[in-house]
Amino acid sequence: MTAIRLDAVVRTFGSVRAVDAISATIAEGELFTLLGPSGCGKTTLLRMIAGFSDVESGSIWFGDQRIDQVPAHRRNVGMVFQSYAVFPNLTVEQNVAYGLRARRVSRRDIRDRVAEALALVQLPAHNTRWPHELSGGQLQRVAIARCLVIKPAVLLFDEPLSNLDAQLRMHMRVEIRRLQKSLGLTAIYVTHDQEEALAISDRIAVLRDGRIEQVGTPETIYRAPQTAFVAEFMGSTNIILGVAAGFDGSATTVAAGGAMFQVRGRAGAPGAKVLLSIRPETMRLAGCPDAGGPTLAVRLQLREFLGPLLRLHAALPDGTPIRVVTLGGQGAQPAADGTLNLIYDPGQIIAYPAP
Amino acid sequence: MTRPGSSGRFHGGISLLALAFLGLFLLYPLWFVLRSSVQDEAGAFTLAAYAQVLSSRYYVGSLGNSLAAGAMSMALASLIGVPLAFCLARLDVPGRPLLLALASVPIVLPSFVGAYALVLLFGHAGIVTAALRSMGIAAGSIYGMAGIVTVFTLTLYPYVLLPTLAGFRAVDASMEEAARNLGASRWHAFRTVLFPIVAPSVLAGALLVFIEALENFGVPAVLAEDRPFLALDIFKLFAGESDPNVAAAGALSVLLVGCTVVMLLLQRAYLAHRRFATNARRGAALIPVSRRWRLLATAFCWGVVLLSLLPFAAVVVISFQHFQGPVLSWQPGLGNYRNLLKGSYRPLANTLALASLAAVAATVLGAPVGYVLARQRSRVSAVLSIVATMPFAVSGTVLGIGLVIAFNDGWPVLTGGWLILVVAYVVRKLPLSVRSASAIVHQIDPALEEASISLGLSPTRTFLTLTVPLMLGGLAGGMVLVWVTATAEISSTIVLYSSRWTTMTVMMLQSLEGTAPGEAAAAASILILFTAAPLLLVYRLLRRQGGSLL
Amino acid sequence: MGTVASWLCRLGLAALGFATLGTSGRAAAEPHLVLYSANDSTVNSMVADAFTKASGITVDVISTGSGVLFRRLVSEQARPQADVIWGVSSSLLKENSKLFEPYAAKERNAIAPEYRDPNNLWIGTNLQVLTISQNTVAIPAAEGPKRWSDLLDPKWKERIAYTDPANSGSSYVNATFLLSLWGGGDPAWTNIAKLLANTRVLNRSTLVFEGNGSGEYPLGISLEYAGLLWRQNNAPVLVVYPADGTVAIAEGVAIIKDGPNPEAAKAFVDFINQKGIQEQLLRSTFRRPARQDIDLAAMPGHMPPLSALKIMPYDDAKWEASRRETLTRLRTLIQSTR
Repeated sequence: MTAIRLDAVVRTFGSVRAVDAISATIAEGELFTLLGPSGCGKTTLLRMIAGFSDVESGSIWFGDQRIDQVPAHRRNVGMVFQSYAVFPNLTVEQNVAYGLRARRVSRRDIRDRVAEALALVQLPAHNTRWPHELSGGQLQRVAIARCLVIKPAVLLFDEPLSNLDAQLRMHMRVEIRRLQKSLGLTAIYVTHDQEEALAISDRIAVLRDGRIEQVGTPETIYRAPQTAFVAEFMGSTNIILGVAAGFDGSATTVAAGGAMFQVRGRAGAPGAKVLLSIRPETMRLAGCPDAGGPTLAVRLQLREFLGPLLRLHAALPDGTPIRVVTLGGQGAQPAADGTLNLIYDPGQIIAYPAP
Repeated sequence: MTRPGSSGRFHGGISLLALAFLGLFLLYPLWFVLRSSVQDEAGAFTLAAYAQVLSSRYYVGSLGNSLAAGAMSMALASLIGVPLAFCLARLDVPGRPLLLALASVPIVLPSFVGAYALVLLFGHAGIVTAALRSMGIAAGSIYGMAGIVTVFTLTLYPYVLLPTLAGFRAVDASMEEAARNLGASRWHAFRTVLFPIVAPSVLAGALLVFIEALENFGVPAVLAEDRPFLALDIFKLFAGESDPNVAAAGALSVLLVGCTVVMLLLQRAYLAHRRFATNARRGAALIPVSRRWRLLATAFCWGVVLLSLLPFAAVVVISFQHFQGPVLSWQPGLGNYRNLLKGSYRPLANTLALASLAAVAATVLGAPVGYVLARQRSRVSAVLSIVATMPFAVSGTVLGIGLVIAFNDGWPVLTGGWLILVVAYVVRKLPLSVRSASAIVHQIDPALEEASISLGLSPTRTFLTLTVPLMLGGLAGGMVLVWVTATAEISSTIVLYSSRWTTMTVMMLQSLEGTAPGEAAAAASILILFTAAPLLLVYRLLRRQGGSLL
Repeated sequence: MGTVASWLCRLGLAALGFATLGTSGRAAAEPHLVLYSANDSTVNSMVADAFTKASGITVDVISTGSGVLFRRLVSEQARPQADVIWGVSSSLLKENSKLFEPYAAKERNAIAPEYRDPNNLWIGTNLQVLTISQNTVAIPAAEGPKRWSDLLDPKWKERIAYTDPANSGSSYVNATFLLSLWGGGDPAWTNIAKLLANTRVLNRSTLVFEGNGSGEYPLGISLEYAGLLWRQNNAPVLVVYPADGTVAIAEGVAIIKDGPNPEAAKAFVDFINQKGIQEQLLRSTFRRPARQDIDLAAMPGHMPPLSALKIMPYDDAKWEASRRETLTRLRTLIQSTR
């Protein structure tokens, strides 16, 4: 159980700063996710922690031990790879025993610990099957058991689920989370899938162009994204460009998409360009019993019935597209001219200064 | 682009070690020979030799001929090798395993013996030519550019075939299916998806053909008649009886190496933007074709392979003819074998022992180098990749003499023993082992090694305990390739051998140059037997693992 | 890194071990000779066996073309590996005489002074006479050329095989001798151009002998021994001694300065000059002896005595001095007449 501290860590490739002075502290037993689009530096940062990529400046600490100059094989990290990286020339058992052999653990201990690790990932003990006989999910279990068995100081996951199909992905992420929590391991998890990040993490760092855009719990990141980038990346929010008008002491009026929005707080000086983030699920259909607040008239273009949910694709008066998600049971019948009235909560709209 | 700390040191250490080896046994000896091309009698720097060579119409023509022969052989070998690889990988051609094994055999025969045998069959007065003439068919001449390019193409195409075949097999079936799903015709799918993926393999093989054709001395020596070729001129200027001019020979050698380096740089530039992780999880299935196409493919494959075995057939046929002194009588007889075996078995034992040692050493050295070249893209590895391919372009005679000058006195003294032969073979054949090691490493997911390192094994231990076992198939292939080509080596052997370490090729050359060409053919036949057998055996093993020689 | 280092150390040690094993470690006590020979392997083994039998000295033969042999000798100068070089032309021997140790062979007086070095640096063992070889299947015996000048006839176009003078010493002598024969200067060069226009220039002399024997090339600018050897073995080859004159080039033997076995070397030089050995060489491969006291008519091949041939003087020094420019001119001519 080890806390991890990153202190102004830098890595450049040519003229590109892949990791640009990132600092962060990951508490003991925490599952910390690096989330971002490809090229944001999340994998490079993970590889620097694992020791596969040099740290140009800055430092990395496991507890009170500085490890960025320690060779990769002495860092005692367990790393789970996207491609599983299960050794094809060794059986399941031999794969799991690999790290123990390197540590010259006695034969008997190896046997016991391998069996224990296999049990943790719910694979049968004394497993002499070859990797090519296993499914993707089983391979990933082997890879995880192989890491756990060496009792690593930290666990690193490099998009471990992206090669699995959707159902297995959900199943495995629950298991990973369960294992990590029950063993109390500090883990860093890299993914580009925001849903996976939200589901699995204690905290998430959203990365963009080698910098941390925002760190926080899944709830904070989702509910209170600090930048338009985070808002957009964290969910299919509606981002609408507008111009701030008057502030009445509690809300700002913003002209956007041919309509006037009420936004809580001071969204910007009058005349300033702002980006509004309106989450699809924060809007209600006018006429719902519990609804109350400002309304917005949109033109319905397409409805997607998703079972529990209903997703509406509509357009603001000037044609800007906007998406709305409501519970599936609601009717959402537009008026004869195709107009649909929506009710929204000014407190749920977040305004960012436009770039 | 990553330069991981301890892996970086591991990679760097290997690069430096390999550069040190090549520096000591390639560059340092070569310097003794080539420095005369940049120094005048007083030892001052001059480029006069280059000016002289480049202003001579003769040598420029010679360079032109060599480049033309190299380029044409490269193009034709690719034109034969790529479709052949495709047919063998994807079509149901009858006898595929046998074809595949036979197709890698042409590398076994020392080219000077093959050329000699071809002249006896297809020369102006060759037995086949004469037979054709008596039937009223005018056969083209085997001499000159056309003959040389034909022989090069037919003997060197395995260099294209082997890696391309591996490439076709490594393409995951889904890629092609994806392309076909998008509405591409088979031909379009080949052109836009398959070929770009195998192109680097084709290119690498074609480059070997080019370099080998440029450096080869045995074939033009017999078939060029009076047309000048660079490798021949280097030999004449360097070790000719009547016009030794080491400065000019050095300048020409440097030109030859220069041409090779340019080609290598072009290849690197092309490959720099292309990286194909071809980790086929599911090999592509055979393509069902109509009977007509299948017949055509069968005829093509068998035609090419059998044609390329003609020099072998010629050598074997001739070895069973009766020779009176140097004169061939076209009477069947076992006299050549009798005379050959009356002598000592020593040369055969020497050849096998020296080639085996060289194969092991070249593999031990070439495996880590090939690994680093495949895994790392740095300036050091760029230099290493060029230096490690250079031996292919350096004439064996020049390297041999360099080794004599460098290691004849002082320390260590190597002349007169077997080690100097092994060193020469290792240096000359290193490109083969490096390339086959690289090829196999390209198919190993780097994450495997990282997993091992993060589990606590140092990069060195990871390489030895994980990577090497994963590379074994490819290493075995490369080792056999080195072994086979080392048994056929002559140009450096002839300046380095001592009588106790006479090899089969030395015997062949002496018999051919002297008065017993029949014995040369018999010796070559025995050598073919001894080298083709392990080649075929390893091929069987490799096929099971889906590996490749190059 | 510790493991890398120890691994490399072990590798280095192993290499060192091999290195000491790999160098020549022959016991010095055993009487022994290292012979560099440009003769063919049949002759080499015959002479080596006979020498071992006569003297008890074992012989290691290194045999290849004389160009390569001299390149080896020059490269090994700092620590010579060879004791004796044999079977190479007098012009190469003269040119490289600084590599040799003088030795006055016991029977040197049996050999005419023009075929040995005045300072005993080398001594001739046999003579190569320049001849025309004719394949009598391709060209009936009576219809062939009788003189060098007959070869200029355009009817022989591309039917004469000739070794590249840049690669063969005797071939260079042949060309320059013809230049002298035809009076030197531009008229002689015009003739040479005509001759070369009729030739196929091959890279090695064996290709000429073989090509002529098999009929690949009906005529060959060749050497006496080759024609006789092929004829002896039932190849339809006729040896033509040109009526307008020819040259006899000495081939000889020399002792390498600072060679490892100087006494054995001297014994070999004396041995190779013995009458019996020279006769044996003639019998097996038609090497015309340098000794003048052998009755050629009684020997196989029935070589005519030198006195019956029109042997012309050959100005070694002159053609040696102008070698590079002459060769360049010849090469240009060869290419321009293709």
